[in-house]
Amino acid sequence: MLAYCLKRAFFSLITVLIVITVVFLLMRLMPEEGYFGDGYDKLLPEQREAILRSMGLLDPWHVQLKNFYIALSKGDLGTSIIYRPKVPVAEIIGPKIPYSLRFGLVAIGLSLATGLWMGVVQAREKGRLADKLGTGYVVFINAVPAAVYLLFIQLYVTQFTGLPILFHRDYPISWLLPAASMSLGGIAGYAMWMRRFMVDELNRDYIKLARAKGMPSTAVMVKHVMRNAFVPMAQYLPTSLLMTIAGSIYIESLYSIPGMGGLLVDAIQRQDNPLVQALVLIYAVIGIFGLFLGDILMAIFDPRIKLEKREGSR
Amino acid sequence: MNEPILKVLDLVIKFSLRGRILTAIRGASLDLQHGETLAIVGESGSGKSVLTKSFIGMLDNNGWVDSGAIMFDGRDIAEYRSEKEWLTIRGRKIAMIFQDPMTALNPLRTVGLQISETLELHQGLRGASAKRRAVEILSDVGIPDAAGRYSQYPHEFSGGMRQRVVIATAMACNPEILICDEPTTALDVTIQAQIIELIRRLQRQYQLSVIYITHDLGVVASVADRVAVMYAGDIVELGTAEEVFYNSQHPYTWALLSSLPQLGIRGQPLYSIRGTPPNLFSDIPGDAFAPRNPRALKIDFEERPPYFTVSPTHVARTWLLDPRAPKVEPPETILAMRRKWRGARP
Amino acid sequence: MSTKLERQASLFTFAEYDAQAAERAGYSSYSYWGSTVRLFLRNKTAVALLIIMTVLLTFTVIQPYLPGQKSPLKIHTSPETGIQLRNVQPSPEFWFGTNSIGQDLWARIWSGTRTSLFIGLFVGLWTVVIGIIMGAIWGYVRQLDRLMTELYNVISNIPTTITLTLLAYILRPSVSTMIISMCATSWWTMARFVRNQVVIIRDREYNLASRCLGTPTQRIISRNLLPYLVSVIVLRLALAIPMAIGWEVFLTYIGLGLPLSIPSLGNLVNEGRQIMMAPILRYQLIIPAAVLSIITISFYVMGNAFSDASDPRNHV
Repeated sequence: MLAYCLKRAFFSLITVLIVITVVFLLMRLMPEEGYFGDGYDKLLPEQREAILRSMGLLDPWHVQLKNFYIALSKGDLGTSIIYRPKVPVAEIIGPKIPYSLRFGLVAIGLSLATGLWMGVVQAREKGRLADKLGTGYVVFINAVPAAVYLLFIQLYVTQFTGLPILFHRDYPISWLLPAASMSLGGIAGYAMWMRRFMVDELNRDYIKLARAKGMPSTAVMVKHVMRNAFVPMAQYLPTSLLMTIAGSIYIESLYSIPGMGGLLVDAIQRQDNPLVQALVLIYAVIGIFGLFLGDILMAIFDPRIKLEKREGSR
Repeated sequence: MNEPILKVLDLVIKFSLRGRILTAIRGASLDLQHGETLAIVGESGSGKSVLTKSFIGMLDNNGWVDSGAIMFDGRDIAEYRSEKEWLTIRGRKIAMIFQDPMTALNPLRTVGLQISETLELHQGLRGASAKRRAVEILSDVGIPDAAGRYSQYPHEFSGGMRQRVVIATAMACNPEILICDEPTTALDVTIQAQIIELIRRLQRQYQLSVIYITHDLGVVASVADRVAVMYAGDIVELGTAEEVFYNSQHPYTWALLSSLPQLGIRGQPLYSIRGTPPNLFSDIPGDAFAPRNPRALKIDFEERPPYFTVSPTHVARTWLLDPRAPKVEPPETILAMRRKWRGARP
Repeated sequence: MSTKLERQASLFTFAEYDAQAAERAGYSSYSYWGSTVRLFLRNKTAVALLIIMTVLLTFTVIQPYLPGQKSPLKIHTSPETGIQLRNVQPSPEFWFGTNSIGQDLWARIWSGTRTSLFIGLFVGLWTVVIGIIMGAIWGYVRQLDRLMTELYNVISNIPTTITLTLLAYILRPSVSTMIISMCATSWWTMARFVRNQVVIIRDREYNLASRCLGTPTQRIISRNLLPYLVSVIVLRLALAIPMAIGWEVFLTYIGLGLPLSIPSLGNLVNEGRQIMMAPILRYQLIIPAAVLSIITISFYVMGNAFSDASDPRNHV
């Protein structure tokens, strides 16, 4: 088990390093304007060159890479230029994290509770009305871009219910709509996955044997099918967790929530290169970390994986 | 021992498939006596599994019992519709084990738990007492170090061991009837013998009545008290093993026995039955085997033969047994087989 | 009476044995594509949407050639006052109204639909073609497998949102940027899927036998793999369109979408979003959103319906 964890950690680390390097190199292709802010046109070419040199952007790329890693190891993610000039990126991102985190956790909780239950009900009522309604919901969420339906939800739900349109931390009620909206996609995902899994498992031989043993269908569902369902799900859980925590870009900008997702949108719109670079890196690392955790979780829950690793390959 | 433990009367089972109706079982009748082993033989698609699945109400969702009766315990269980009714039978009175031990157990739960489950369901045992009994059963079926093996997972057992575990699960609640659907087909020959021996021992120990479904006549020869021969959803011959092997009356049984490779003569092509089983979507007039039977009578194509009695324990559904029919000798291979075996008997 | 007895007696004589009839006795009327089409047609929703989509697509293509259509970029001014006809409600003159600078929304919507569909189809075709070719090579040439799998693991670890954002940011928004970035990210999953299928099939016994007999690799691929792939291809193409539209909307949302001179469903929705707080102007949001929703839902449902119909397990 430990060996498996270490092996996976090692590979994830390699992936992270590769990603960091690739992002870094790609960012070097970015337009120069992002380093200058409004003053770009007013500067003479020599002045621009001087500024670029002082930021280390004209050094050979392997030197830049080395400096970048050194700075990274010291926790220096660069300094913002346009968004908040001269302020270290880390300082800008820091306060945003709690908001994204909190919303993300609430949304995950909602998604899991509602989605899984919905999937079970759908599998049980397969072909009947409840199943069709659920499928209709999932189809809608999957087909229509989130930006579109979230927009309409904000528009019409606030009209009909009088909930506040924008988030403000002084109004607890303003948490409700954004968090609920955030969970919609997750509900669809979990419901669809759970339903498909349960339907697939219901055809398996060991389920036939369990029924032939005299187990009532509900017990078979719960003790065998649902129990088995959690194993593959464990693999995807950390990823969805972390990605939601990273902040939903749409929700945050729609409701003006001061989180990381909104920050990314702003940074892009204002073309603040260091900020964009740092955010992209953070998101990428979060994603990779999520996958790593997922693999570990799955190894914990699925006895077949653990043992295969222990005894070597069969 | 005169009253059978299970009696099937003229059972008709239909399936709805691709918008059409398929009659999988076309009026089959048989009976199972207390403590005996009945083997049901037939080709793939003859309806063996479907028939036995109907005994525990596990037909696929698109199938149903159209007419006929299954008498068990004084009741017609073919009438059962709700799961609640079937739960009184499944595992408790009639247990079934399937062919493939590799997929029959939940890979993510320990073996012991899967047996304890049954105990909890039917005998109300809980926790430690359930575990104790489960360990007992495990060692009963011949698993060494049962206590340790209790907490292991299915993939840690070999194929034969897994089948023993499956048998243990089935036997956990002392059912009256055990249905074995090709239990040895997926196993090595040596393991086959062990499993067959295990079932035989359990049968003696617990006064079990066993139904074996198989297409392997070798297995039939070693375990069966009585044999039912199935073809195209119908039981065409039913009798004791001796009677069916040495004194078969139905042309299909002759054809089946003739196809045993052991009866082949060296240097000559092996016998195989020409043609294929009939399409069960349409009604079949007369004897279903007639188109493939070189010795068929005209009436075989028109009217379905009733069961003719050959002996108190032996019936066959063939017009050849009608007094009006011409005398027909079984094929030479069968006659040779009978001569050889009669000669070998004391 | 005597004829009945005679007849009865004659029944007990031997019948003619017809070996041919024996072979004919059992048959199966199963045809894979027949069952697939039949199952698909049984899905009323999918069929209805198919009809709607065909009509819509045809219309989208022929719309510019119909009489009386206006240009999507032309800013309309009132003939009397010379003032721009901004934010005009849907009317006989402008069927979908005009936007905030006086452009005909009807023309813009259809132009936007063309753009979005074009992007979607292009990306879809690319994904399928390159995905299959690369996937087949990846699966069949064992030496490549290791390298490609490691590459795939790294690349699939990075969220697509990030890659797309990054590429769009660096390459600056345009139709080609969109297409390039979407193509770059989408073919991996397809290739991986095809590779898995190839690996499974490659090691199946009947293929080993073929190779022993000297069948060239190319023939094995085309005969054993390709027919199965057709259903996958159709599914992928159908789903590519809602996916591409989704990504396009996302990029537009974060400010990396197409410029307004190239209308697309994404930036039309975005335009509408900016003025959505005024109820009378909401038509500028609702109409593009409705068209977008109809298109995405239709393709999604049709794609899934076809996928379900082509799964042999459902052919009972």
